[in-house]
Amino acid sequence: MSLFARRRVAILSTVAAATIALSACSAPGEDEESSSSGDGPIKIAVVNAQSGQLSSLGAWELKGVKLAVDEWNKAGGVGGRQIELGVFDDQGDPTVGTNLARKIASEGYVAMLGTAESAVTIAMAPILQQEEIPNITSGQSPGLVAVKSPFLFLNGPTSTTYDETLAKYIVDTKGIKSIAVITNNGSYGKGEHDAFLKALSSRGVTPVADHAVTTDQKDFSAALTSIRQKNPQLIFVGAEEVQSGLIVKQARDLGIKAPFAGAAPQGTPVFIDTAGAANAEGTIVSSPYLSNEISDASRTFAAAYKAMHGEDAEMHGAKAYDGAQIMLTALKNSNLATGKPLADAIRSTKHAGLLGNFTFDETGVGIFETSIGTITSGKLIAATDA
Amino acid sequence: MQVTIQTFIGGLSLGAIYALVAMGFSLVYRTMGLVNFAHGNVVMIGAYFASTFYLSAKLPFAAAMVIALVVTGLIGIVIERVLRPLENKDFDLMLIGTIGFGIVLEALAIIIWGATGRAVPSPVPGAPLDVFGIRIRTYDLVVLAIAAAATAVLVLFLQRTKRGAAMQAVAMDHQAATAVGIHVGRSNSIAFMIGAGLAALAGGLVGPLLYVSPAMGGTLGIKGFAAAILGGFGSIPGAIIGGLCIGVLDGFTAGHFQGYSELVTFLVFTVIIMVRPTGIFGERTVNRA
Amino acid sequence: MRYRVGGIALLGVAAWLLPYQLDSYAIHVVNVMLLYALLAIGLGLAMGIAGQINLAQVAFFGVGAYVTAILTTKSGWGFWAAAVVAILAAAAIGLLVGTPALRMQSHYLGIVTLGLALAFTNWVTNSHLAGGAEGITGIPRPQLPGVDLSSEYLFYYVELIVFAVALAFGIFVVRTPLGRRMRAMRDDALAAGAVGVEVPMLRMTAFLFAGVYGGIAGVLYAGLIRYVAPETFSIANMFLLLAMVIIGGRQSLVGCVIGAISLALVRELLVDYPTYAQVAYGSVVVLTVVFAPTGLAGLPRRVTGWLRRRGWLPGGAATAGALRPFQPYGQAPAPQAGPMLEVTGVSKHFRGLTALQDITLTVPAGQIRGIVGPNGSGKTTLFNVVSGLYKPSAGRVAIAGTDLTAARPYRLAQAGIARTFQNLRLFAALTVRENVLVALDRSRIRSIWRYAVWQVGVWRHDRELRRRADQILERFGLTDFADSLPGALPYGIQRRVEVARAMAATPRLLLLDEPAAGLNGEEVRQLAEIVRSIRGAGVTVVVIEHNMGLVMSLCDQVTVLSNGRIIADGEPARVAVDPHVIEAYLGDSTVIDVPAAEEATQATEVKL
Repeated sequence: MSLFARRRVAILSTVAAATIALSACSAPGEDEESSSSGDGPIKIAVVNAQSGQLSSLGAWELKGVKLAVDEWNKAGGVGGRQIELGVFDDQGDPTVGTNLARKIASEGYVAMLGTAESAVTIAMAPILQQEEIPNITSGQSPGLVAVKSPFLFLNGPTSTTYDETLAKYIVDTKGIKSIAVITNNGSYGKGEHDAFLKALSSRGVTPVADHAVTTDQKDFSAALTSIRQKNPQLIFVGAEEVQSGLIVKQARDLGIKAPFAGAAPQGTPVFIDTAGAANAEGTIVSSPYLSNEISDASRTFAAAYKAMHGEDAEMHGAKAYDGAQIMLTALKNSNLATGKPLADAIRSTKHAGLLGNFTFDETGVGIFETSIGTITSGKLIAATDA
Repeated sequence: MQVTIQTFIGGLSLGAIYALVAMGFSLVYRTMGLVNFAHGNVVMIGAYFASTFYLSAKLPFAAAMVIALVVTGLIGIVIERVLRPLENKDFDLMLIGTIGFGIVLEALAIIIWGATGRAVPSPVPGAPLDVFGIRIRTYDLVVLAIAAAATAVLVLFLQRTKRGAAMQAVAMDHQAATAVGIHVGRSNSIAFMIGAGLAALAGGLVGPLLYVSPAMGGTLGIKGFAAAILGGFGSIPGAIIGGLCIGVLDGFTAGHFQGYSELVTFLVFTVIIMVRPTGIFGERTVNRA
Repeated sequence: MRYRVGGIALLGVAAWLLPYQLDSYAIHVVNVMLLYALLAIGLGLAMGIAGQINLAQVAFFGVGAYVTAILTTKSGWGFWAAAVVAILAAAAIGLLVGTPALRMQSHYLGIVTLGLALAFTNWVTNSHLAGGAEGITGIPRPQLPGVDLSSEYLFYYVELIVFAVALAFGIFVVRTPLGRRMRAMRDDALAAGAVGVEVPMLRMTAFLFAGVYGGIAGVLYAGLIRYVAPETFSIANMFLLLAMVIIGGRQSLVGCVIGAISLALVRELLVDYPTYAQVAYGSVVVLTVVFAPTGLAGLPRRVTGWLRRRGWLPGGAATAGALRPFQPYGQAPAPQAGPMLEVTGVSKHFRGLTALQDITLTVPAGQIRGIVGPNGSGKTTLFNVVSGLYKPSAGRVAIAGTDLTAARPYRLAQAGIARTFQNLRLFAALTVRENVLVALDRSRIRSIWRYAVWQVGVWRHDRELRRRADQILERFGLTDFADSLPGALPYGIQRRVEVARAMAATPRLLLLDEPAAGLNGEEVRQLAEIVRSIRGAGVTVVVIEHNMGLVMSLCDQVTVLSNGRIIADGEPARVAVDPHVIEAYLGDSTVIDVPAAEEATQATEVKL
């Protein structure tokens, strides 16, 4: 008993002495390691929602990235080194995102692709900036630009571009002035709301109705009925695929005949399925990637995508594919630089991608145009008069 | 005025769904004194089964509903059986146990059907009716009719059949019921099964109205539970009135407060419950103290 | 004790050295884990200790984080100034969310707190001030002179110290008068009120604690992540937190911490399979509530208990020891003459059924009054009206000349009424000594400031209470059972514990509701001796009893109730031959009882 007690005291005092010694010497921390040196594979992180409500977006993005990386690796990699993808699941949750930002930093990833959810990317941006890890995101919120991180780039246009193009077509080309707006209060919906209203007001148009709904709202009778009373010529919807579909379906049930308009989500098969093809007919969509048929490049991409994943390509995959191409090109151009030089290399990369010609500016946005399409017979077709 | 009436009608059909959910809550509660927080997730499972058999197996909607009823009924029995050791012992623990079941059911649904969910086309073809500019979906009428029929059947069962009478007896005094030879455990099982069946009914009906996804259980469960309490927990007419009230309240707050609708709905609910904790019809409780 | 001190010291050293072993991601995981542990302590205090179902803990967490974020980014405040305001705000919201607890409990409270948590998320998602769905970025680094808190390694030490202080404070609360009263309230709110526990205020205190712990965790979250968004404070995370507390063992704060840390670790291990992790922790919650309701913290006791029952470990039966003889109170001078209890024209109706009809009776100080009558004649209802559990439909109740009609039970207890219950209401999860301590403790809720600033005073007060509790236990011959749980004791001893608990409150008026029920002949004789001694000490006693032998020998005066009315009143011998009384008793089987279920439905309206 006393023997044990004495031994414990001895251990305790040793440990205590060690603590004092250690803490006197240094605070705990980690040595900087540079993982891009050496001959191993280049590690790139793909962060997206692989579970939860947004997991279909994450799955599409991953498929696009995989296709791009696969093409490069088959061609011998970058600078003779293969590219290794690390896939991380942010669950659509910003806090998980911040955890992952630290994780990819500590595991020596040189760059990150994703996420599709602007709020998650915004949460991760300060950490990635501190750790000097360049990030090409698939988000499109103007909030991403407001972060002002030199390490953050977008693989598509911002909502401002989408909605400016849309407003131009609707108001200037079509001459429609009586417009109702219904958006959700999530980060995507709010971004759309602000961007579209700005585009309208610059044309001197005030919406006849402006309704906000919550992201998990499923019954829109109240908002749609009051919109119906205003009898608008067109209704702008700013919400994700499913909710947009529900809004259109219920609007038709209420006898609203006006066409709908919106950005990328309204061009997806999920939207058309949810709304019902007949209800979605005539919806005007602003998108940088209307279909797999728009160019030779897109046809090649779609064929390769189908061969690799066994399903048809769509916009999110195309965007992510472009983003991965830009990242790998920049790595090649900069001779496998990391940190600030890699970010600079991305900024100076000119890329002719599926979405158009990328030329990055100071804000990290590389593309400033979208196309207008309309849903005709359940398919998104480029508008002839745009 | 037109907006008000149209909003009211929209709230009513969703309210009928809440009423069915609330009835399931109340039935289980009055029989065995258990609040089943997994109930919302059972609704979700019911919605998935109904929509799977309707969409993938191409069965008629009614047949798909029957299958969903059977499957969720079985789930109900399993939940009751697992939690039986806690019955009449620790109310709060049992409540938390059902939350655990809810978590598991939601995750299982994600594993089986994926996280994104699916749209279910309306099984009733035909354009909405137009009454003086008020649009009434034919499917809404179907929902209201089925909800009313389900209520009538349930009330008849409780009042006119031997089994139902036995359940009423257990609800009033389970010791006395045991004394006269009623098998309390079986009675509880049946209550749970019927509760789960009502959940499947609600889930199957709500599918074409809204959208089927693993997360739908949370919202429907909470609103349904609020409806049950608002009407007077354990009371069948209370569940119906409470459900319709919450549906209509939801519709109007969505119209007036837009994004803030949830905030207002729950604040109003809290205030009503503070003023009248036993709800509109008063609580029917099992007291086994 | 020495082992415990050594163990804690060792843990402390290990925690201090931990960062030296971890890479920069691992330390982040540990930092987040500590936040969950803090939240779990808060939830444990409200739910496990005070028994208040609280599904709004994430909202308190959110208030702390959001207020810090808003004040630092929008108003340009310094981090620590914002932190103080944030914690105060979380405490205020805690009190606000707790208000419904005054009116409702259990599942009602569950849905209301859950709804208010949803309302909070809804507000931050919409509010421009709170940054909407995109949240608030750019929260400045907390500044501490000489320490770079942007290093997560150093932030760990800030969190560790806060956590250690918070845990120590929590345990201090649980083991001292405040926490004891909370646990008593959790086990039996009615009985707690009857021994003078200020139930409404304690419920608010529970939510106050939950709010403060949530607020502290929120401030640290804002300092660590430097970004806030609505998703973090979602219902899914609330249920995760709940699972932590349940799996760890809600009635032990250390258990809550263990639950938080182990579940956070498991979640981290399964980070690539979140759905399977969800199935796993959901299932564990179900298994825990069914097979190990006390959680991980309760496992050691359950295992040793099981081994003992199997005979594989020595020791065992909690009833080892003997009930010793009661040591009579000293004779006190006769109390001042005059009525101790005056009931005037009291009626009580339950949904149209009349339980009491125009009852008027006066009990002079120093008397032992018997109340008899057939089952359902309204005796217990009368006690419930006098002790404040029911509000009378009409009439007045005065104690020693002071009108206390419809005062709350704890006010009446403070005014000198103590009672026992027909079907024993001891605090099941408190030891016999703690049962007595709760009643002894006369400290008021306003003295909780001492917990914040003068802990030594609390500790001294507690030591004094324990000394007096031991005296009472000795007087009632219960010393050998001081550390047993009441449920493990024979019925007769439990009855005596309840009388001891009532007397610990030093009442002027003692109400005994069928104290002899279930006792054997010898125990009834001892009971009579105890009651006479209590009267001898100057306490007025009113006793409901069916054992007519006891009533005849013990009481100075007997009041007979039937169908809610007084049908006879007078000396025992006279009353026994009263024809009305005989008729009432003979007709007992035909008497229409006030159905027990009807009284029960009123339970939710009982004031506490």
